[in-house]
Amino acid sequence: MKKCRSIKFLSRMIPLIIFTVFIGFAASKLISQALAAEPAKPAAKPTAKPAEAPPAKPAEPTKPAEKVSPVLDPKDPKSVLYLDTKGKLAGTGDPAKSGPASEAVKAGQGWHPAALAAQILPKDRYGLINWAKAAKDNIITPRHSLDPKEEEMPAMDMDVVIEAKSDFVSDVVYPHYIHTWWLKCEVCHPAIFLPAKGQNNMTMAGIAEGKWCGRCHGKIAFPLADCNRCHTQPKRAVKK
Amino acid sequence: MIRGWLVAGVLVLVLSSIGFAKLGNIIFDDKIESLKKAGMPPAVFPHAKHEDIYKCEDCHPNIFKDKRGANDVTMHKNMNGEFCGAAECHNSPKAFPLYMCNKCHIK
Repeated sequence: MKKCRSIKFLSRMIPLIIFTVFIGFAASKLISQALAAEPAKPAAKPTAKPAEAPPAKPAEPTKPAEKVSPVLDPKDPKSVLYLDTKGKLAGTGDPAKSGPASEAVKAGQGWHPAALAAQILPKDRYGLINWAKAAKDNIITPRHSLDPKEEEMPAMDMDVVIEAKSDFVSDVVYPHYIHTWWLKCEVCHPAIFLPAKGQNNMTMAGIAEGKWCGRCHGKIAFPLADCNRCHTQPKRAVKK
Repeated sequence: MIRGWLVAGVLVLVLSSIGFAKLGNIIFDDKIESLKKAGMPPAVFPHAKHEDIYKCEDCHPNIFKDKRGANDVTMHKNMNGEFCGAAECHNSPKAFPLYMCNKCHIK
């Protein structure tokens, strides 16, 4: 008799359980969709430091939605050299997202969009102007100094191999030539880089924060988004 | 009678919670010697966060094989467009870029 009762009990409960489990799955899917939909916004974005290199993809709105304070101290590695008119780091390559590039552009002086569109200045993968190519192709020939008496220092051709600490990431080949085309020695040495091999313990995280290469790259020079633009020399024997 | 309903109720609650379960964090630590040389902690991948935004077939099996240990992920490969650095993902405007190390390599 007892056995009969439990069989009857089970045969009624099982379909009910299956039905309710199905409802449970459907309900949880609805709930997680509702949860995912509401803050499409900066729920997870940590506070952006002013020196954080801007993501340079053309269509991306700059993520640090807060205003960056315009600190312009040349000794401070976090100082911001180039702000657009919305107060954010410039250089996304898309004026529709970042607003006019500077106060000068806003006032009517600046790159004429037709000139840019006419492809006179070469662009890189991210739609930003490739100044290195413009220099190499002699599209621009700027004066070496505003001071007419200053002597021009010739560019120095010396490639420095900066080894990546990991076993897999390619090494960086740093070209002095294009940098010295633009800059004098004192701009980097010794304030940013000690001029001795092995004396600068650089890390990628530090560079992204605005030290070493990040003093310029991500601010006035091309941003750090294209890894393989610098990491060009693969490791020879890949260790497992 | 009441006991029967009680059992059913508990079973229902327990079984329907299966629908809420998501995959936990995945830690990429098989290249731990290389990570130590670079001074970086292993990367932590929040699967649940990605489950909220994507469907399974957006990543599996085209970008990541869905078996632990079956994907040989290195930063170099990420930089070259495989795995995390796929063209629709962290090498694109849709997500934060690869040079923001501390977002994944959580200390």
